[in-house]
Amino acid sequence: MDHKESTLSYFTNQLFSQNQILVAILGICSALGVTSRIPPAIAMGLSVTFVTSFSCFFVSMFRRQTPDSVRMITQLAFISLFTIVIDQVLQAYYFSISKVLSVYVGLIITNCILMGRTEGMAKNVSPLPAFLDGLGAGLGYTFVLVSVAAIREFFGFGQLLGYQIIPTAWYGTAANPHGYQNFTLMVSPPASFFILGTMIFLMKTLQSRKKR
Amino acid sequence: MPEQSEFSDRKTIFFITVLSAACALVLAILASCLAQPKKEAKELDQTKEILVATQIYNKLTGTFQIEESPHRWQMAKYSKNGQLVASDVAVKATPEEILAVARARIKPFLVDSEGNSFSFQEKRINFDHYLLDNKKTGYADLPLKLAYEILPNPDGKAASKPVGYIIPINGMGLWDRIYGYMAIAPNGVDVIGISWYDQKETPGLGGNIAEPIWQKLFVGKKIFVLDPHAPGDLVRAPIGITIVKGKVKDVLGDSPRAVAAVDGMAGATLTGNGVTKAYHSSLDPYRPFFIRLHSQEGSSHGS
Repeated sequence: MDHKESTLSYFTNQLFSQNQILVAILGICSALGVTSRIPPAIAMGLSVTFVTSFSCFFVSMFRRQTPDSVRMITQLAFISLFTIVIDQVLQAYYFSISKVLSVYVGLIITNCILMGRTEGMAKNVSPLPAFLDGLGAGLGYTFVLVSVAAIREFFGFGQLLGYQIIPTAWYGTAANPHGYQNFTLMVSPPASFFILGTMIFLMKTLQSRKKR
Repeated sequence: MPEQSEFSDRKTIFFITVLSAACALVLAILASCLAQPKKEAKELDQTKEILVATQIYNKLTGTFQIEESPHRWQMAKYSKNGQLVASDVAVKATPEEILAVARARIKPFLVDSEGNSFSFQEKRINFDHYLLDNKKTGYADLPLKLAYEILPNPDGKAASKPVGYIIPINGMGLWDRIYGYMAIAPNGVDVIGISWYDQKETPGLGGNIAEPIWQKLFVGKKIFVLDPHAPGDLVRAPIGITIVKGKVKDVLGDSPRAVAAVDGMAGATLTGNGVTKAYHSSLDPYRPFFIRLHSQEGSSHGS
Protein backbone atom coordinates (compact mmCIF):
# COMPACT_ATOMS: atom_id res chain seq x y z
CA MET A 1 0.00 0.00 0.00
CA ASP A 2 1.19 3.52 -0.78
CA HIS A 3 2.82 5.07 2.28
CA LYS A 4 1.86 8.58 1.26
CA GLU A 5 -1.81 7.76 1.69
CA SER A 6 -3.37 9.04 4.87
CA THR A 7 -4.39 6.80 7.74
CA LEU A 8 -8.00 7.41 6.79
CA SER A 9 -7.46 5.68 3.45
CA TYR A 10 -7.30 2.36 5.35
CA PHE A 11 -10.95 3.00 6.15
CA THR A 12 -12.13 4.37 2.80
CA ASN A 13 -10.39 1.70 0.69
CA GLN A 14 -12.26 -1.03 2.52
CA LEU A 15 -15.61 0.62 2.00
CA PHE A 16 -15.72 0.34 -1.74
CA SER A 17 -12.64 -0.18 -3.88
CA GLN A 18 -11.41 -3.12 -1.75
CA ASN A 19 -14.87 -4.22 -0.60
CA GLN A 20 -14.58 -7.61 1.07
CA ILE A 21 -17.66 -9.14 -0.53
CA LEU A 22 -17.57 -7.51 -3.98
CA VAL A 23 -13.81 -7.52 -4.60
CA ALA A 24 -12.27 -10.11 -2.25
CA ILE A 25 -15.37 -12.37 -2.49
CA LEU A 26 -15.23 -13.17 1.24
CA GLY A 27 -18.07 -13.55 3.75
CA ILE A 28 -20.57 -14.73 1.15
CA CYS A 29 -22.26 -17.36 3.36
CA SER A 30 -23.88 -14.99 5.82
CA ALA A 31 -24.59 -12.54 3.01
CA LEU A 32 -26.83 -15.21 1.52
CA GLY A 33 -28.51 -16.14 4.79
CA VAL A 34 -29.69 -12.97 6.46
CA THR A 35 -30.60 -10.77 3.52
CA SER A 36 -34.26 -11.53 2.91
CA ARG A 37 -35.20 -8.34 4.80
CA ILE A 38 -33.36 -5.15 5.74
CA PRO A 39 -33.42 -5.11 9.60
CA PRO A 40 -31.56 -8.42 10.14
CA ALA A 41 -29.07 -7.37 7.45
CA ILE A 42 -28.33 -4.14 9.34
CA ALA A 43 -27.97 -5.94 12.67
CA MET A 44 -25.72 -8.59 11.16
CA GLY A 45 -23.59 -5.97 9.40
CA LEU A 46 -23.11 -3.93 12.55
CA SER A 47 -22.25 -7.03 14.59
CA VAL A 48 -19.60 -8.01 12.06
CA THR A 49 -18.31 -4.42 12.04
CA PHE A 50 -17.92 -4.50 15.82
CA VAL A 51 -16.02 -7.79 15.72
CA THR A 52 -13.73 -6.87 12.78
CA SER A 53 -12.77 -3.46 14.12
CA PHE A 54 -11.99 -4.58 17.67
CA SER A 55 -10.31 -7.87 16.84
CA CYS A 56 -8.13 -6.05 14.27
CA PHE A 57 -7.26 -3.46 16.91
CA PHE A 58 -6.19 -6.03 19.50
CA VAL A 59 -4.39 -8.32 17.04
CA SER A 60 -2.40 -5.28 15.96
CA MET A 61 -1.73 -4.15 19.52
CA PHE A 62 -0.18 -7.50 20.44
CA ARG A 63 1.51 -8.03 17.05
CA ARG A 64 5.06 -7.65 18.48
CA GLN A 65 4.40 -10.05 21.35
CA THR A 66 2.65 -12.71 19.27
CA PRO A 67 4.91 -15.65 18.33
CA ASP A 68 4.61 -16.28 14.60
CA SER A 69 3.86 -19.97 15.08
CA VAL A 70 0.63 -19.30 17.01
CA ARG A 71 -0.47 -16.08 15.29
CA MET A 72 -3.61 -17.57 13.73
CA ILE A 73 -4.73 -19.10 17.01
CA THR A 74 -4.22 -15.70 18.62
CA GLN A 75 -6.30 -13.99 15.93
CA LEU A 76 -9.03 -16.57 16.37
CA ALA A 77 -8.98 -16.07 20.14
CA PHE A 78 -9.67 -12.34 19.72
CA ILE A 79 -12.30 -12.94 17.04
CA SER A 80 -14.13 -15.50 19.20
CA LEU A 81 -13.90 -13.23 22.23
CA PHE A 82 -15.64 -10.33 20.48
CA THR A 83 -18.15 -12.58 18.73
CA ILE A 84 -19.24 -14.05 22.08
CA VAL A 85 -19.39 -10.55 23.58
CA ILE A 86 -21.71 -9.27 20.84
CA ASP A 87 -23.83 -12.44 20.96
CA GLN A 88 -24.30 -12.14 24.74
CA VAL A 89 -25.05 -8.43 24.60
CA LEU A 90 -27.64 -8.96 21.87
CA GLN A 91 -29.27 -11.73 23.91
CA ALA A 92 -29.42 -9.56 27.00
CA TYR A 93 -30.48 -6.20 25.57
CA TYR A 94 -31.69 -6.75 21.98
CA PHE A 95 -33.44 -10.08 22.36
CA SER A 96 -35.72 -9.69 19.35
CA ILE A 97 -32.78 -9.03 17.01
CA SER A 98 -30.80 -11.93 18.44
CA LYS A 99 -33.82 -14.17 17.79
CA VAL A 100 -33.89 -13.20 14.12
CA LEU A 101 -30.13 -13.64 13.61
CA SER A 102 -29.93 -16.82 15.75
CA VAL A 103 -27.01 -18.98 14.57
CA TYR A 104 -25.52 -16.39 12.26
CA VAL A 105 -24.13 -14.31 15.13
CA GLY A 106 -22.14 -17.26 16.47
CA LEU A 107 -20.99 -17.99 12.94
CA ILE A 108 -19.26 -14.60 12.72
CA ILE A 109 -16.27 -16.50 14.14
CA THR A 110 -15.98 -18.46 10.90
CA ASN A 111 -16.63 -15.46 8.66
CA CYS A 112 -13.71 -15.34 6.24
CA ILE A 113 -13.54 -11.53 6.37
CA LEU A 114 -12.31 -11.69 9.98
CA MET A 115 -9.32 -13.95 9.36
CA GLY A 116 -8.73 -12.13 6.10
CA ARG A 117 -8.37 -8.72 7.75
CA THR A 118 -6.47 -9.82 10.86
CA GLU A 119 -3.99 -11.97 8.91
CA GLY A 120 -3.84 -9.77 5.82
CA MET A 121 -3.65 -6.35 7.46
CA ALA A 122 -3.89 -6.04 11.24
CA LYS A 123 -0.78 -8.10 12.07
CA ASN A 124 1.37 -5.82 9.91
CA VAL A 125 0.26 -2.31 10.88
CA SER A 126 -0.17 -0.28 14.04
CA PRO A 127 -3.45 -0.36 16.03
CA LEU A 128 -5.17 2.76 14.63
CA PRO A 129 -4.88 1.87 10.93
CA ALA A 130 -5.81 -1.71 11.83
CA PHE A 131 -8.92 -0.53 13.64
CA LEU A 132 -9.93 1.72 10.72
CA ASP A 133 -9.27 -1.09 8.27
CA GLY A 134 -11.50 -3.44 10.27
CA LEU A 135 -14.19 -0.78 10.64
CA GLY A 136 -14.16 -0.12 6.90
CA ALA A 137 -14.28 -3.82 6.06
CA GLY A 138 -17.27 -4.28 8.37
CA LEU A 139 -19.15 -1.27 7.05
CA GLY A 140 -18.41 -2.29 3.46
CA TYR A 141 -19.91 -5.68 4.29
CA THR A 142 -22.92 -3.99 5.88
CA PHE A 143 -23.43 -1.84 2.80
CA VAL A 144 -23.51 -4.86 0.49
CA LEU A 145 -25.79 -6.84 2.83
CA VAL A 146 -28.28 -3.99 3.11
CA SER A 147 -28.28 -3.42 -0.68
CA VAL A 148 -29.03 -7.09 -1.34
CA ALA A 149 -31.68 -7.10 1.40
CA ALA A 150 -33.34 -3.97 0.01
CA ILE A 151 -33.63 -5.51 -3.46
CA ARG A 152 -34.96 -8.79 -2.04
CA GLU A 153 -37.44 -7.14 0.30
CA PHE A 154 -38.72 -4.77 -2.39
CA PHE A 155 -39.33 -7.43 -5.05
CA GLY A 156 -40.09 -10.33 -2.70
CA PHE A 157 -42.52 -8.62 -0.33
CA GLY A 158 -43.26 -5.28 -2.04
CA GLN A 159 -41.97 -3.61 1.12
CA LEU A 160 -38.97 -1.74 2.48
CA LEU A 161 -38.16 -1.95 6.21
CA GLY A 162 -41.56 -3.57 6.69
CA TYR A 163 -43.53 -0.71 5.08
CA GLN A 164 -45.62 -1.52 2.03
CA ILE A 165 -44.12 0.31 -0.97
CA ILE A 166 -45.95 -1.32 -3.85
CA PRO A 167 -49.62 -0.32 -3.34
CA THR A 168 -51.74 -3.27 -2.26
CA ALA A 169 -54.35 -2.15 -4.82
CA TRP A 170 -52.01 -3.22 -7.64
CA TYR A 171 -51.92 -6.82 -6.46
CA GLY A 172 -53.75 -9.54 -8.37
CA THR A 173 -56.87 -10.91 -6.69
CA ALA A 174 -59.46 -13.50 -7.62
CA ALA A 175 -61.38 -10.76 -9.45
CA ASN A 176 -58.29 -9.39 -11.15
CA PRO A 177 -55.96 -12.36 -11.75
CA HIS A 178 -53.59 -10.38 -14.00
CA GLY A 179 -52.59 -7.88 -11.32
CA TYR A 180 -49.14 -7.53 -9.78
CA GLN A 181 -47.64 -10.43 -7.85
CA ASN A 182 -44.63 -10.59 -5.57
CA PHE A 183 -41.55 -12.14 -7.16
CA THR A 184 -41.36 -15.17 -4.86
CA LEU A 185 -37.93 -16.22 -6.16
CA MET A 186 -36.55 -13.14 -4.39
CA VAL A 187 -37.57 -14.56 -1.01
CA SER A 188 -35.70 -17.82 -1.50
CA PRO A 189 -31.91 -18.09 -1.00
CA PRO A 190 -30.91 -18.44 -4.69
CA ALA A 191 -32.02 -14.83 -5.21
CA SER A 192 -29.10 -13.56 -3.16
CA PHE A 193 -26.75 -15.57 -5.40
CA PHE A 194 -28.12 -13.82 -8.48
CA ILE A 195 -28.08 -10.37 -6.90
CA LEU A 196 -24.60 -10.78 -5.41
CA GLY A 197 -23.31 -12.20 -8.71
CA THR A 198 -24.68 -9.22 -10.60
CA MET A 199 -23.19 -6.80 -8.07
CA ILE A 200 -19.77 -8.46 -8.31
CA PHE A 201 -19.99 -8.33 -12.10
CA LEU A 202 -20.82 -4.60 -12.04
CA MET A 203 -17.98 -3.96 -9.60
CA LYS A 204 -15.41 -5.81 -11.74
CA THR A 205 -16.58 -4.00 -14.87
CA LEU A 206 -16.33 -0.65 -13.11
CA GLN A 207 -12.84 -1.37 -11.77
CA SER A 208 -11.42 -2.68 -15.06
CA ARG A 209 -12.79 0.36 -16.86
CA LYS A 210 -11.12 2.65 -14.32
CA LYS A 211 -7.76 0.91 -14.81
CA ARG A 212 -7.93 1.54 -18.54
CA MET B 1 7.72 -8.56 11.97
CA PRO B 2 10.33 -9.95 14.41
CA GLU B 3 12.29 -13.06 13.57
CA GLN B 4 10.71 -16.33 14.58
CA SER B 5 13.80 -17.39 16.50
CA GLU B 6 13.15 -14.61 19.00
CA PHE B 7 10.37 -16.71 20.48
CA SER B 8 11.39 -19.82 22.33
CA ASP B 9 8.88 -22.63 22.89
CA ARG B 10 8.58 -21.61 26.51
CA LYS B 11 7.68 -18.04 25.55
CA THR B 12 5.12 -19.27 23.06
CA ILE B 13 3.43 -21.50 25.62
CA PHE B 14 3.50 -18.67 28.14
CA PHE B 15 1.90 -16.25 25.63
CA ILE B 16 -0.90 -18.63 24.69
CA THR B 17 -1.63 -19.51 28.33
CA VAL B 18 -1.88 -15.86 29.35
CA LEU B 19 -4.01 -15.03 26.29
CA SER B 20 -6.46 -17.89 26.94
CA ALA B 21 -6.71 -17.06 30.63
CA ALA B 22 -7.34 -13.38 29.87
CA CYS B 23 -10.04 -14.17 27.29
CA ALA B 24 -11.68 -16.69 29.64
CA LEU B 25 -11.67 -14.13 32.47
CA VAL B 26 -13.30 -11.44 30.31
CA LEU B 27 -15.98 -13.85 29.12
CA ALA B 28 -16.63 -15.19 32.62
CA ILE B 29 -17.13 -11.68 34.00
CA LEU B 30 -19.38 -10.77 31.08
CA ALA B 31 -21.46 -13.93 31.47
CA SER B 32 -22.06 -13.37 35.17
CA CYS B 33 -22.92 -9.68 34.61
CA LEU B 34 -25.37 -10.48 31.83
CA ALA B 35 -26.99 -13.56 33.41
CA GLN B 36 -29.80 -11.59 35.04
CA PRO B 37 -30.61 -9.27 32.08
CA LYS B 38 -30.54 -12.33 29.78
CA LYS B 39 -32.98 -14.24 31.96
CA GLU B 40 -35.28 -11.23 32.18
CA ALA B 41 -35.09 -10.63 28.44
CA LYS B 42 -36.06 -14.22 27.80
CA GLU B 43 -39.00 -14.15 30.21
CA LEU B 44 -40.21 -10.82 28.85
CA ASP B 45 -40.00 -12.19 25.34
CA GLN B 46 -42.03 -15.27 26.26
CA THR B 47 -44.67 -13.09 27.92
CA LYS B 48 -44.75 -10.87 24.83
CA GLU B 49 -45.29 -13.90 22.61
CA ILE B 50 -48.17 -15.18 24.73
CA LEU B 51 -49.79 -11.73 24.41
CA VAL B 52 -49.11 -11.79 20.65
CA ALA B 53 -51.00 -15.09 20.36
CA THR B 54 -53.96 -13.61 22.25
CA GLN B 55 -53.87 -10.44 20.07
CA ILE B 56 -53.45 -8.25 23.15
CA TYR B 57 -50.02 -7.09 21.97
CA ASN B 58 -49.06 -6.20 18.41
CA LYS B 59 -45.41 -7.03 17.71
CA LEU B 60 -45.27 -5.03 14.48
CA THR B 61 -46.23 -1.72 16.06
CA GLY B 62 -45.06 -2.53 19.60
CA THR B 63 -48.39 -1.38 21.04
CA PHE B 64 -51.26 -2.99 22.91
CA GLN B 65 -54.56 -3.51 21.13
CA ILE B 66 -58.17 -4.24 22.05
CA GLU B 67 -60.74 -6.03 19.95
CA GLU B 68 -63.27 -3.53 18.69
CA SER B 69 -65.40 -5.92 16.65
CA PRO B 70 -64.65 -9.52 15.60
CA HIS B 71 -61.18 -9.70 13.99
CA ARG B 72 -60.74 -5.93 14.08
CA TRP B 73 -58.30 -4.58 16.60
CA GLN B 74 -57.72 -1.03 17.72
CA MET B 75 -54.52 0.40 19.16
CA ALA B 76 -54.63 0.75 22.93
CA LYS B 77 -52.48 2.05 25.73
CA TYR B 78 -51.95 0.94 29.30
CA SER B 79 -54.01 2.71 31.93
CA LYS B 80 -53.62 0.95 35.30
CA ASN B 81 -53.99 -2.44 37.03
CA GLY B 82 -53.55 -4.27 33.76
CA GLN B 83 -56.33 -2.31 32.11
CA LEU B 84 -56.07 -1.10 28.51
CA VAL B 85 -57.89 1.85 26.96
CA ALA B 86 -58.29 2.64 23.27
CA SER B 87 -55.78 5.14 21.92
CA ASP B 88 -55.56 6.92 18.57
CA VAL B 89 -51.83 7.49 18.74
CA ALA B 90 -49.29 4.68 18.94
CA VAL B 91 -48.01 4.37 22.52
CA LYS B 92 -45.26 1.75 22.77
CA ALA B 93 -45.81 -0.79 25.54
CA THR B 94 -43.04 -0.81 28.15
CA PRO B 95 -41.71 -4.10 29.60
CA GLU B 96 -43.38 -3.37 32.98
CA GLU B 97 -46.75 -2.79 31.31
CA ILE B 98 -46.46 -5.98 29.28
CA LEU B 99 -45.75 -8.02 32.43
CA ALA B 100 -48.60 -6.29 34.31
CA VAL B 101 -51.15 -6.99 31.57
CA ALA B 102 -50.05 -10.63 31.39
CA ARG B 103 -50.35 -10.99 35.19
CA ALA B 104 -53.85 -9.52 35.14
CA ARG B 105 -55.25 -11.36 32.16
CA ILE B 106 -53.42 -14.66 31.54
CA LYS B 107 -54.14 -17.37 34.15
CA PRO B 108 -52.61 -20.85 33.90
CA PHE B 109 -54.67 -23.92 34.79
CA LEU B 110 -54.60 -27.69 34.27
CA VAL B 111 -56.72 -29.86 32.00
CA ASP B 112 -57.06 -33.65 32.40
CA SER B 113 -57.68 -36.20 29.65
CA GLU B 114 -61.45 -36.03 30.16
CA GLY B 115 -61.50 -32.26 29.60
CA ASN B 116 -61.98 -31.30 33.28
CA SER B 117 -60.08 -28.23 34.41
CA PHE B 118 -58.31 -27.69 37.74
CA SER B 119 -56.36 -24.85 39.27
CA PHE B 120 -52.73 -25.37 40.27
CA GLN B 121 -53.69 -24.96 43.96
CA GLU B 122 -56.31 -27.68 43.72
CA LYS B 123 -53.71 -30.15 42.49
CA ARG B 124 -51.00 -28.76 44.81
CA ILE B 125 -48.57 -28.31 41.95
CA ASN B 126 -45.96 -25.57 41.86
CA PHE B 127 -46.47 -23.73 38.56
CA ASP B 128 -42.82 -22.69 38.06
CA HIS B 129 -41.47 -26.20 38.68
CA TYR B 130 -44.16 -27.76 36.50
CA LEU B 131 -43.32 -25.35 33.68
CA LEU B 132 -39.59 -26.00 33.89
CA ASP B 133 -39.77 -29.79 34.32
CA ASN B 134 -41.94 -30.38 31.27
CA LYS B 135 -40.76 -27.72 28.85
CA LYS B 136 -38.72 -30.11 26.71
CA THR B 137 -41.30 -32.87 26.36
CA GLY B 138 -44.29 -30.59 26.07
CA TYR B 139 -47.45 -30.49 28.14
CA ALA B 140 -49.91 -32.18 25.80
CA ASP B 141 -49.14 -35.78 26.75
CA LEU B 142 -49.11 -35.27 30.53
CA PRO B 143 -52.08 -36.54 32.57
CA LEU B 144 -52.53 -32.92 33.67
CA LYS B 145 -51.96 -30.65 30.69
CA LEU B 146 -51.14 -26.98 30.75
CA ALA B 147 -53.56 -24.36 29.40
CA TYR B 148 -54.13 -20.67 30.06
CA GLU B 149 -57.36 -18.74 30.14
CA ILE B 150 -57.53 -15.23 28.71
CA LEU B 151 -59.55 -12.87 30.88
CA PRO B 152 -61.31 -9.89 29.32
CA ASN B 153 -59.84 -6.39 29.59
CA PRO B 154 -60.65 -5.37 33.20
CA ASP B 155 -62.98 -2.42 32.56
CA GLY B 156 -64.51 -2.18 36.02
CA LYS B 157 -67.45 -4.43 35.26
CA ALA B 158 -67.15 -7.78 37.01
CA ALA B 159 -67.14 -10.09 34.02
CA SER B 160 -64.75 -12.93 34.71
CA LYS B 161 -65.81 -15.22 31.86
CA PRO B 162 -62.71 -16.04 29.80
CA VAL B 163 -62.56 -14.59 26.29
CA GLY B 164 -60.34 -17.40 25.09
CA TYR B 165 -57.86 -20.12 25.98
CA ILE B 166 -54.18 -20.61 25.18
CA ILE B 167 -52.66 -24.00 24.42
CA PRO B 168 -48.86 -24.37 24.54
CA ILE B 169 -47.54 -25.88 21.30
CA ASN B 170 -44.40 -28.04 21.14
CA GLY B 171 -42.86 -29.74 18.18
CA MET B 172 -39.88 -30.28 15.97
CA GLY B 173 -38.98 -27.88 13.18
CA LEU B 174 -36.36 -28.49 10.55
CA TRP B 175 -33.35 -27.91 12.82
CA ASP B 176 -34.51 -28.02 16.41
CA ARG B 177 -37.47 -28.03 18.76
CA ILE B 178 -40.01 -25.24 18.30
CA TYR B 179 -42.11 -23.78 21.10
CA GLY B 180 -45.19 -21.62 20.73
CA TYR B 181 -48.72 -20.79 21.72
CA MET B 182 -52.11 -20.96 20.07
CA ALA B 183 -55.01 -18.89 21.41
CA ILE B 184 -58.45 -20.37 20.81
CA ALA B 185 -61.86 -18.69 21.10
CA PRO B 186 -64.30 -19.79 23.88
CA ASN B 187 -66.14 -22.00 21.34
CA GLY B 188 -63.10 -24.32 21.23
CA VAL B 189 -62.85 -24.13 17.44
CA ASP B 190 -61.81 -20.68 16.18
CA VAL B 191 -58.19 -19.56 16.30
CA ILE B 192 -57.59 -16.15 17.91
CA GLY B 193 -53.91 -16.10 17.04
CA ILE B 194 -50.59 -17.92 17.26
CA SER B 195 -46.97 -17.19 18.11
CA TRP B 196 -43.65 -19.00 18.48
CA TYR B 197 -41.35 -17.99 21.29
CA ASP B 198 -38.41 -20.31 20.79
CA GLN B 199 -37.32 -21.63 17.40
CA LYS B 200 -34.08 -22.09 15.52
CA GLU B 201 -35.40 -22.33 11.96
CA THR B 202 -33.40 -20.84 9.09
CA PRO B 203 -33.51 -17.04 9.40
CA GLY B 204 -35.43 -15.54 6.50
CA LEU B 205 -37.00 -18.88 5.49
CA GLY B 206 -38.48 -21.20 8.13
CA GLY B 207 -37.63 -18.51 10.66
CA ASN B 208 -40.57 -16.57 9.22
CA ILE B 209 -42.87 -18.62 11.48
CA ALA B 210 -41.90 -16.00 14.07
CA GLU B 211 -42.97 -13.13 11.78
CA PRO B 212 -46.30 -11.41 12.58
CA ILE B 213 -47.11 -11.21 8.86
CA TRP B 214 -47.24 -14.98 8.55
CA GLN B 215 -48.84 -15.51 11.98
CA LYS B 216 -51.72 -13.25 10.92
CA LEU B 217 -52.83 -15.94 8.44
CA PHE B 218 -54.04 -18.10 11.34
CA VAL B 219 -56.55 -15.58 12.66
CA GLY B 220 -60.09 -16.92 12.28
CA LYS B 221 -59.03 -20.39 11.11
CA LYS B 222 -60.78 -23.42 12.61
CA ILE B 223 -58.70 -26.02 14.40
CA PHE B 224 -60.95 -28.89 13.27
CA VAL B 225 -61.95 -29.94 9.77
CA LEU B 226 -65.69 -29.70 10.38
CA ASP B 227 -68.00 -32.01 8.48
CA PRO B 228 -70.31 -29.67 6.50
CA HIS B 229 -73.23 -32.00 7.29
CA ALA B 230 -72.54 -32.20 11.04
CA PRO B 231 -70.60 -29.06 11.99
CA GLY B 232 -71.13 -29.66 15.70
CA ASP B 233 -69.51 -33.10 15.71
CA LEU B 234 -66.03 -32.47 17.12
CA VAL B 235 -65.54 -36.06 18.29
CA ARG B 236 -64.87 -37.39 14.83
CA ALA B 237 -63.59 -34.19 13.19
CA PRO B 238 -59.84 -34.43 12.58
CA ILE B 239 -57.49 -31.66 13.73
CA GLY B 240 -57.20 -29.56 10.63
CA ILE B 241 -54.47 -26.94 11.10
CA THR B 242 -52.23 -27.59 8.10
CA ILE B 243 -49.48 -25.58 6.47
CA VAL B 244 -49.94 -26.24 2.77
CA LYS B 245 -47.23 -25.91 0.14
CA GLY B 246 -48.17 -22.71 -1.69
CA LYS B 247 -51.44 -20.84 -1.37
CA VAL B 248 -54.48 -22.42 0.29
CA LYS B 249 -56.84 -21.27 -2.43
CA ASP B 250 -54.70 -22.91 -5.12
CA VAL B 251 -54.12 -26.17 -3.25
CA LEU B 252 -57.44 -26.82 -1.51
CA GLY B 253 -59.90 -24.50 -3.27
CA ASP B 254 -63.30 -24.66 -1.57
CA SER B 255 -62.67 -27.97 0.22
CA PRO B 256 -63.80 -28.04 3.89
CA ARG B 257 -60.12 -28.45 4.79
CA ALA B 258 -59.41 -24.93 3.52
CA VAL B 259 -60.94 -23.31 6.63
CA ALA B 260 -58.18 -24.91 8.71
CA ALA B 261 -55.30 -24.55 6.26
CA VAL B 262 -52.70 -21.79 6.10
CA ASP B 263 -50.48 -20.59 3.22
CA GLY B 264 -46.99 -22.09 3.32
CA MET B 265 -43.76 -20.09 3.31
CA ALA B 266 -41.67 -20.12 0.14
CA GLY B 267 -38.51 -22.16 0.64
CA ALA B 268 -39.60 -23.57 4.00
CA THR B 269 -41.68 -26.65 3.23
CA LEU B 270 -39.99 -28.79 5.87
CA THR B 271 -40.51 -26.20 8.61
CA GLY B 272 -44.15 -26.04 7.49
CA ASN B 273 -44.48 -29.81 7.84
CA GLY B 274 -42.94 -29.64 11.33
CA VAL B 275 -45.35 -26.87 12.31
CA THR B 276 -48.33 -28.88 11.04
CA LYS B 277 -47.18 -31.90 13.05
CA ALA B 278 -46.60 -29.77 16.14
CA TYR B 279 -50.19 -28.46 16.03
CA HIS B 280 -51.65 -31.93 15.50
CA SER B 281 -49.71 -33.57 18.32
CA SER B 282 -50.19 -30.63 20.73
CA LEU B 283 -53.90 -29.99 20.07
CA ASP B 284 -55.29 -33.51 19.76
CA PRO B 285 -54.85 -34.44 23.48
CA TYR B 286 -56.96 -31.39 24.40
CA ARG B 287 -59.89 -32.58 22.24
CA PRO B 288 -62.17 -33.49 25.22
CA PHE B 289 -61.57 -29.98 26.58
CA PHE B 290 -62.47 -28.36 23.23
CA ILE B 291 -65.61 -30.52 22.96
CA ARG B 292 -66.67 -29.42 26.42
CA LEU B 293 -66.08 -25.75 25.52
CA HIS B 294 -68.00 -26.18 22.29
CA SER B 295 -71.04 -27.75 23.93
CA GLN B 296 -71.06 -25.11 26.71
CA GLU B 297 -70.90 -22.32 24.14
CA GLY B 298 -73.70 -23.95 22.12
CA SER B 299 -75.98 -24.30 25.14
CA SER B 300 -75.36 -20.75 26.37
CA HIS B 301 -76.31 -19.45 22.92
CA GLY B 302 -79.42 -21.63 22.87
CA SER B 303 -80.76 -20.50 26.24
